[in-house]
Amino acid sequence: MRRDERGFSLMEVLAAFLVLTVVITVSFTAFLERNNRLRQASEITLAYQALANEAEYIRRMPYDALVATTVFTSGTEVLAPLAPFGTATGIELIKPGVKQVTLTVRWKNGAREAKLVVMRADTGGSPLW
Amino acid sequence: MVRRRRQAGYSLMEVLVALSVFCAFLAVLFILTAEMRGWDKRLPMNYARHPQVASVIARMRKDVTDAHMPNYQTPYLPEHKEFTMDEKVLILRTLVNGGERTIVWDFRETGVVTRYEYIGTLRTQWNARGVPPEFSSGVDIDAVDMTGRLYGVRLRAKDAKGMLAIDQIFQPRAHQ
Repeated sequence: MRRDERGFSLMEVLAAFLVLTVVITVSFTAFLERNNRLRQASEITLAYQALANEAEYIRRMPYDALVATTVFTSGTEVLAPLAPFGTATGIELIKPGVKQVTLTVRWKNGAREAKLVVMRADTGGSPLW
Repeated sequence: MVRRRRQAGYSLMEVLVALSVFCAFLAVLFILTAEMRGWDKRLPMNYARHPQVASVIARMRKDVTDAHMPNYQTPYLPEHKEFTMDEKVLILRTLVNGGERTIVWDFRETGVVTRYEYIGTLRTQWNARGVPPEFSSGVDIDAVDMTGRLYGVRLRAKDAKGMLAIDQIFQPRAHQ
């Protein structure tokens, strides 16, 4: 009479666990990476809002008033979730009468950075407003 | 012949071992997602990913940038027809071929942003529907003093948590 064999052997159970672990690990890693990317996208959106706002001020400032600074005139309330962060405005004279203004936002202790460059030309105090 | 009694179900120890393995698995999941949940609380809603909000901002930016009146006249109006400029209504005017065009941005209705355009007696209307309710309630329009230049427009919006999610400055293009 044949013995009735039911259930799973130890090797079968271990193999099943191994497959399950691999699938869960891969899925979870992809899930975490996706969330990480979304977070980075949100951070960049905030940083570029601050940069774009400061660029609007830079576009309107008198040419001679453009100086390097670490403070954004437009305010940085929108950058509060990135705290601690740092801002900087760098000025470089490309050629006589033309300045390159580089606006920078840094966060995560300098590990992440967003930059925007604005070119300004000396129009001689134009009456444009 | 001796019959062995079949025992159905699981013993207490087997159940406890299975539960403890499951709890350990949940604890590992919780720890791994703790940083992720922390960031979710810290960051405001990303309205830029919302198509209606993004299109409202893009169109409003273009309207303000193109606003132009001659002889140093301001393109902003305190009121027009039934609208009065406040933190949820922006009224702009600009000179176009055929006369003066007046644009009204109305953020007062929850979930809808409406843009009215008046040229002479003609009125056209553009609606952005499906805007997040918290965007409608949290939006604020303010004037920005651009140091001796024409005033700019500052659009700010907070999310449901009260965090500043949108802060954008638009200003009319420089002209004589």
